[in-house]
Amino acid sequence: MTRVTTSKLTKPRGGSKALPPRGGVSRVALKGGWYAVGFLAPLGILYSVYFLFSFGILGVVSTQRVGLTFRNAVDVGFQNFVLVAGDPAFQGALMNTIAFAAFSVAVSLSLGFILAMMLASGIRMRRAFYTIFLLPSLIPMSLFATVFGRMLETRDGAINEFLRAIGLGFAAQDWLGDPTAAYVAVGVIITYAIGLPIMYYSTDVAQVQASVMESATLDGASVWQIYRIMLFPLLRTTHITVILSVVLGSFRAFDIIYFSTAGQPGGRTDITGTYIYKATLGLDRIGYAAAASILVLLVALAFSVVQIIVRRKAL
Amino acid sequence: MQLKRIGLAVGAFVAVAALVAGCSQAPESNDGTTEITYWTWFPPQSTLDAAIAAFEAENPDITVTLKTFEGADYQKQLPLALSGGQAVDVAGVQISAMTNSVKDYLDPAEDWAADFLPTINSTMVDQTKDIASDGVLYSVPMGSIGSPVMYYNADILDSLDLEVPETATEWKVAVDAISEAMPEVTPVVFLGDVYWQEEMLFAIAEQTSPGLSDDIIGGDGSWDQAGIVDGLKAYKSLFDDGIVGTDVLSLTGTRPNELFGQGLAAFYIDGSWNNSLLSASYREENDIAVADVGATTVPLVDGGQPAIRALAEGGLAIPTESEHKEEAARFIEFMVSSAGADVWAKDLILVPSLTGYELSDSVLESDAAVAGFAAATAAISAPTSNRDSQQDFLNTVEGNAILDVLRGTTTAEEAAATMQSEWTSGRYPHGSDQ
Repeated sequence: MTRVTTSKLTKPRGGSKALPPRGGVSRVALKGGWYAVGFLAPLGILYSVYFLFSFGILGVVSTQRVGLTFRNAVDVGFQNFVLVAGDPAFQGALMNTIAFAAFSVAVSLSLGFILAMMLASGIRMRRAFYTIFLLPSLIPMSLFATVFGRMLETRDGAINEFLRAIGLGFAAQDWLGDPTAAYVAVGVIITYAIGLPIMYYSTDVAQVQASVMESATLDGASVWQIYRIMLFPLLRTTHITVILSVVLGSFRAFDIIYFSTAGQPGGRTDITGTYIYKATLGLDRIGYAAAASILVLLVALAFSVVQIIVRRKAL
Repeated sequence: MQLKRIGLAVGAFVAVAALVAGCSQAPESNDGTTEITYWTWFPPQSTLDAAIAAFEAENPDITVTLKTFEGADYQKQLPLALSGGQAVDVAGVQISAMTNSVKDYLDPAEDWAADFLPTINSTMVDQTKDIASDGVLYSVPMGSIGSPVMYYNADILDSLDLEVPETATEWKVAVDAISEAMPEVTPVVFLGDVYWQEEMLFAIAEQTSPGLSDDIIGGDGSWDQAGIVDGLKAYKSLFDDGIVGTDVLSLTGTRPNELFGQGLAAFYIDGSWNNSLLSASYREENDIAVADVGATTVPLVDGGQPAIRALAEGGLAIPTESEHKEEAARFIEFMVSSAGADVWAKDLILVPSLTGYELSDSVLESDAAVAGFAAATAAISAPTSNRDSQQDFLNTVEGNAILDVLRGTTTAEEAAATMQSEWTSGRYPHGSDQ
């Protein structure tokens, strides 16, 4: 079999109406392409300005010691990166971000999935449950986290007051003073913020053909078996979407932590977002904060790459 | 024909030039007055409005456009605005936190304040100069603030026949009596926020080691010196002895203020910017359900002398890019004069910088308020250190290290060693490193 390259092609019969050689582009297609370029250009320019330019600035600033006015910058090379990477507070914040992301994924794939299936199965008071679980995702997270943070107060907080009211005063905790209790508190707020995964599952489960479910029911499959053996595997692309959105969302969870625990106790619940925010508060620390941002960005990109590879294998 | 073309060209050029000049100038009101823009984060909006109204009444040829910000946000907004060429004629400057981040965009105060600078408290002027890394005065301070000050519910103390505590021993007696008689009242409240822990630590440590903060933050002293270790232990002893509960450390934001204002706390420790609490009219206007409030310094824990860190605050500056510097200088001169201070000093937030200025007798009504304000003012006038902080270090390392000691997670020695190790890590440039 000989491969014919376009360079060896003679002029095709049929003149201009003949199809172009494989790999070529027709005028119509080319014209259509320009239309597409025309439509996409504004978005492309916007993207360039807001993202590429920002990343460029971030990259330049990360190699400097400079303040918010960007005056009198001193070139320090990669020193900022070395200092950030060696900071125990940054390492702890990064580990927390990953740990909270893992917890979010576990909660979303288990509780989120189960709740979505229950809501999709026509459970009574479905709207009320949707409201309860989706509300935190529909209101500003900073507002939600602020209210939750107030509830965590040791003496007069709603959580401890409630525990005392129902005779469980012994379970009242110093939520912001004890590391274990603080992690539990963060876990609770993360759990309560799984509205989006529930929406993903609710939307995709509607795409599953009813005939498949009916067949399984006729074959005597229990509800649990239908969930475990059929629905869970059928929704694997949704799982991947949920995992990616939750993991990347964890890198943007500044408001959840900042307004609820503020990193307490002793910075032990800080995440990368709160770490970077605090880093900008000092004099001439914008370069340092930029270096921290880039390191976090690289970690987040690594997660995205892994997700893309896994997704390709799954499809 | 040639002449006509030249004439047209010149005419067009003049028209365009006039248009460009008009566009580049700051706005001028239709009634012929000059409009100046004033950015600041304090005093409260109502006070600023009153002060501006008083100024405009005295200076009908100038109108002031005010833009206010939340304090922490302002530390970012002003530098960005000035670097972006935003039209700001008068800039409020947080002297400790912001001077060095904006000074490159400000005119030295000697250029525009020479006429009235001699009337300003020289100590406050020197403090403002010393904050700047180049030792130049970039803003004129409206006054001075200090912290911590301990406000107390005078009614609670009177009802239990308690004296204002001067030592931790007396404080403990008062706290026990309050806890027994009023279980719903939290005896002592203050902020559990990270940044506030520095204020508390130095207030207690400097009772026996005055100048400690200046030595470390303003000098070459180390964080692991004996004064800090002893201060950490003394601070923790307040919790160990039951004077303060660890539950107080979960109070953040406005919560301590709310509890005190609702009569649910007997002692409230915060900065002198809360001196407004001493004013009966202020309490009435703000629905604060406490009939009488007094103030004192934090009681002595391990002997020594009362301590407070204070600094000139409320700097007023003129950006280099301002096109109305003469009008801006007139406004600043008014704000720091007795006419301006009469409007804003009633808030009691600042001890005014005008030499010899005395607060009107009508502002403070009770004996506790008069004595409290005098005590706070005296302490601020003779501080044990400048109220200076390194924000990045405080928010990431120092505050958390102090909180860990208070909660028993680490020892005072370990916390001091951690602070010193991070202080010299290169992550937090300070002193000659900056």
